[in-house]
Amino acid sequence: MKEEKMLRKLLTLGLGLIFCLGLSISAYAKTLRVAMASDPVSMDPHVQLSGGMLQYSHLVFDPLIRWTKDMKFEPRLAVKWERISPTTVRFYLRKGVKFHSGNPFTAKDVAWTMARLKKSPDFKGLFEPFAEPKIIDDYTIDIITKKPYPLLLNMATYIFPMDSKFYSGKDKNGQPKDAIVKTGPSFANSHESGTGKYYVAYREQGVKWIFKAFKNYWDKNSGNVDEIILTPIKNDATRVAALLSGDVDFIMPVPPQDYARIERNPKVQLITMPGARIITFQLNQKRRPEFANRKVRQAIVYAINNVGIVKKIMKGKATAAGQQSPEGFLGHVPELTPRYNLQKARQLMKEAGYPNGFECSMIAPNNRYVNDEKIAQAVAAMLAKIKIKVDLKTMPKAQYWDQFDARAADIQMIGWHPDTEDSANYTEFLLMCPDPKTGYGQYNSGNYCNPTVDKLILQAQTETNVKKRKAILQKVERILYNDAAFVPLHWQHLSWAASKKLKNVSDIVNKQNFPYFGDLIMD
Amino acid sequence: MQHLWSRLKQSYIFHSFIHDKVAIISSIILIILLLAGLLAPYIAPYNPYNTANIDIMDAETPPMWMEGGSAKFILGTDDQGRDMLSTMLYGMRVSLLIGLGAVMVQALLGITIGLIAGYFGGKLDNLLMRLADVQLSFSTLMVAIFMSAIFQTFFGIKQYEEMAIPFLIIVIGLAEWPQYARTVRASVLAEKKKEYVEAAKVIGFNAGKIMWKHILPNTLSPVLVISTIQVANAIMSEAALSFLGLGMPVTKPSLGSLINAGFEYIFSGSWWITIFPGILLVVLILVINLLGDWLRDVLNPKLYKG
Amino acid sequence: MFAFIIRRFFQAIFVMFLISLIGFSIQHQIGDPIRDLVGISVSKAEREALRDKLGLNDPFLVQYLRFIKKALHGDLGRSFFYKKPAVEVILSKAPATLELVFVTSILVIIFSIPLGIYCAIFPKKIISRLIMGISIIGVSIPVFLTAIMLIYIFSIKLGIMPSFGRGQTVHIFGYWDSGLFTLDGLKHLVMPSIALTSIMLPLFVRLIRAEMMEVLESEYIRFAWAKGLHPWRIWLVHAFKNTLLPVITVGGVQLGSLIAFTILTETVFQWQGLGFLFVEAVERADTTLLVAYLIFVGFVFVCINTIVDIIYGLVNPMVRVIGKK
Repeated sequence: MKEEKMLRKLLTLGLGLIFCLGLSISAYAKTLRVAMASDPVSMDPHVQLSGGMLQYSHLVFDPLIRWTKDMKFEPRLAVKWERISPTTVRFYLRKGVKFHSGNPFTAKDVAWTMARLKKSPDFKGLFEPFAEPKIIDDYTIDIITKKPYPLLLNMATYIFPMDSKFYSGKDKNGQPKDAIVKTGPSFANSHESGTGKYYVAYREQGVKWIFKAFKNYWDKNSGNVDEIILTPIKNDATRVAALLSGDVDFIMPVPPQDYARIERNPKVQLITMPGARIITFQLNQKRRPEFANRKVRQAIVYAINNVGIVKKIMKGKATAAGQQSPEGFLGHVPELTPRYNLQKARQLMKEAGYPNGFECSMIAPNNRYVNDEKIAQAVAAMLAKIKIKVDLKTMPKAQYWDQFDARAADIQMIGWHPDTEDSANYTEFLLMCPDPKTGYGQYNSGNYCNPTVDKLILQAQTETNVKKRKAILQKVERILYNDAAFVPLHWQHLSWAASKKLKNVSDIVNKQNFPYFGDLIMD
Repeated sequence: MQHLWSRLKQSYIFHSFIHDKVAIISSIILIILLLAGLLAPYIAPYNPYNTANIDIMDAETPPMWMEGGSAKFILGTDDQGRDMLSTMLYGMRVSLLIGLGAVMVQALLGITIGLIAGYFGGKLDNLLMRLADVQLSFSTLMVAIFMSAIFQTFFGIKQYEEMAIPFLIIVIGLAEWPQYARTVRASVLAEKKKEYVEAAKVIGFNAGKIMWKHILPNTLSPVLVISTIQVANAIMSEAALSFLGLGMPVTKPSLGSLINAGFEYIFSGSWWITIFPGILLVVLILVINLLGDWLRDVLNPKLYKG
Repeated sequence: MFAFIIRRFFQAIFVMFLISLIGFSIQHQIGDPIRDLVGISVSKAEREALRDKLGLNDPFLVQYLRFIKKALHGDLGRSFFYKKPAVEVILSKAPATLELVFVTSILVIIFSIPLGIYCAIFPKKIISRLIMGISIIGVSIPVFLTAIMLIYIFSIKLGIMPSFGRGQTVHIFGYWDSGLFTLDGLKHLVMPSIALTSIMLPLFVRLIRAEMMEVLESEYIRFAWAKGLHPWRIWLVHAFKNTLLPVITVGGVQLGSLIAFTILTETVFQWQGLGFLFVEAVERADTTLLVAYLIFVGFVFVCINTIVDIIYGLVNPMVRVIGKK
């Protein structure tokens, strides 16, 4: 009996010690609680091309190179690169890198990943200019494009090497492990092996993700966050409340009406940064013959008070735009500033032959872009001042895009962020003559068609000399500006808010909206 | 005419009204609000539905008595620069029309179906109640989507703005009739077995007359309770539908839409965008409910002796 | 009784069938689920190929018959967003809502009964008028406003309540994740249930008051007074029991609505229940999940209304719903 009691005492003591030890260890483990509007849809980085999936990729995988805050490239899995021919860039890969599964990272994985990218419905368009890469040795690979391609490095930021051995073979349902399945279960949708700082420890879709730091991560100079708990919080006000009450440490995005409140609060910090997403309206020249008249389009551009919208609706957190390319992009022309002159607008309407205006319809989404519905309302009100009576209908994005494609209204709102982080992309999708065969002008609902612009853009696609390319793209912006081809509003700013415990938040954010949590340092 | 008036003055209803202070005050407030809504185009300082009148630079102006406010906008402006007072008046008119209209449709439909189901029972009752279950599963949202599809095929998108109010009355009315039907049916089931119904049958009244003239008045009490609260629900349902693009057009906000839209600003400083229409809505609902209470107490034959 | 339940069960099938038919026909109006699944720069050709693969371009009747065939095996299709069978998704989200509704119902019953009875017995007293007046405010303030106020006061300003989510849950039998058994889970239940109660309570208080006032005037109650029975016995045992019929009816419908459509409260509190599921399915145009969900809700309503009908007979013996005359 006595021994039993002794044993029990020892056991309790032992458990108590272990418990204390566990507590003290956890005191050093830094846990970051993040709330976003929605969580990643899958664990397979190739299943969907979206901001959310790319953010996930940066956590669990590493790209060959990535963008820095000031739009330069920094080495990640590629340590050096050099262009050895107009169509080839040689990448020297980092040695000693391991995947979460333990498999070593080599050039074979890069080639395998690129082949899969070309199979993915979402990425194949972006990687169309790429031919099969050539493996020189385990740590050297030549990435080859079919024609001279100026944006090779931009696209290298999308190559997140996947563990080719891990994803080879068949899963327990007999399906190939590397299958890309959008609407059903697949191995890649629920398993991952990347080289990234974090691996997925727990995932409940729509509810919670837990990422834990990978012990054998190659980058020894990364931040000190050991665990990331990601919760989606859809409602803007709730997300801000969660931050302010201390239930989470980092939120994105931040609704503009709460900027002031967050800035006033001593325990949290607001970080904003100009982004590259341009918000525009397109004027359908075919549906409404009045819009085919350049003076009418110019009148509309002059009637819209971009700066007022930025100030009042976006609370200053946007940059009024007169063109597509923001500052820092090749095609940006500093002289093309936003135009607002009500008198001139009225004058132009008279000159065009519509002194009494006309009626037209407008559609806009109400849950896609920041304050999209409010912007549309304000624009409708502004057009009323030059006697253009606008019937406005707003709707959620699930219904909007079908209506947009069906050209259901005369004026349609669309925002655009180039996947290639390059000027030409805007025009390729929004303003080139619509061509269902090539896919150019896919979202050109205005039916603006200028053969000169098309020719220049095609030229820019294979022009690798930076100076020459810059001239071409700037020329395009000037033509579009003078033609009033579309109505530019502003570039949205990106916004994040965090508790002051996070020390270097402003260093880890970037224009692409992929906060590099791996480099975060918190108290 | 004079005969009618003196009969009215001597009636129980009039007597009870005059002596109930709450009823008098409530009805005065309600009449003021109704008139304000009806006469909105004449008494409002601006027409907020005319987009040429608003300027985004006026947005979020505080009420007159606060710093930054101006005498141009007594109660301040909303996030698009519309004058709060004018928008509240116009919006109240829309909300009242939709709220009261929808409830009347719900009540009419629901009471009729409930009476028939309860009185006749059997297979008819089962069929009607299962239809009610189907209707209940399709919330207002789904009904709106369904109806707008039909609507668009017949009328096209353009007509939508003009037809919005009747459309919403029908949609919200259709979506909520089961509530009434089931309540009335429950009361009918209880009343069916009472002696006065037997007596009426013996006398030879037909089913319709028995249902409407005899049973119905005894089932009205819970119906009135539900109705007054349903008005509030109908007003907010309309606002919820505008998210889907199926409520009032965004350029013609109703009271509910104002409250919805201002919700985002409530802690960011521009509290007046939600609070003022919110207060107006509370007063409106309060007054309708108080009058409803009085009406129910007065019309109820079971409470007649008092 | 047994035959009655069997008959109701078959009627439920009829209801679900009708719902599925209507749901399928409005699928197209809700939107295109493919858009949500692919990036915006993906070509139209790719999207069409995906639609073909999923059978979304087949004619209505073909798609519907395919659905019915699968439904007879218990498979209501696969959610586009969750990439899991719709039934699984619905069942996994149900506990969250059911627990919230359960707590709310208890709160409503605890408060509405005494308040309603009091207001019925003493209708002209100031307190009664006050109770009736204040309860109206609960109904006319939109629930999301009440919810956000609660979060603001208790989570942000006072910091004593969590601002979102269900908190810690405990896995009990099968798929049920319960928040009732952890202190954290209970804490998370407090504010959402208060918000919901604020809009449900007024209806029941007014209903109980109205019904009871009627009953108090009836002959047999006068007889009970004349007999000299104790007031509380009269009020509670005799009068109250007979006020219950309409209260139960309304309660049944409200219960069903709570389960299916507490969208606003669940959205503000990021409460991953059925209402939240519904609104996300609409926003994403996840048509399979939506149709499956509506069928599920139809079933829920039939069940609730059946139980209510059975209770009628128990509460008021004069009411015979079960069996024919």
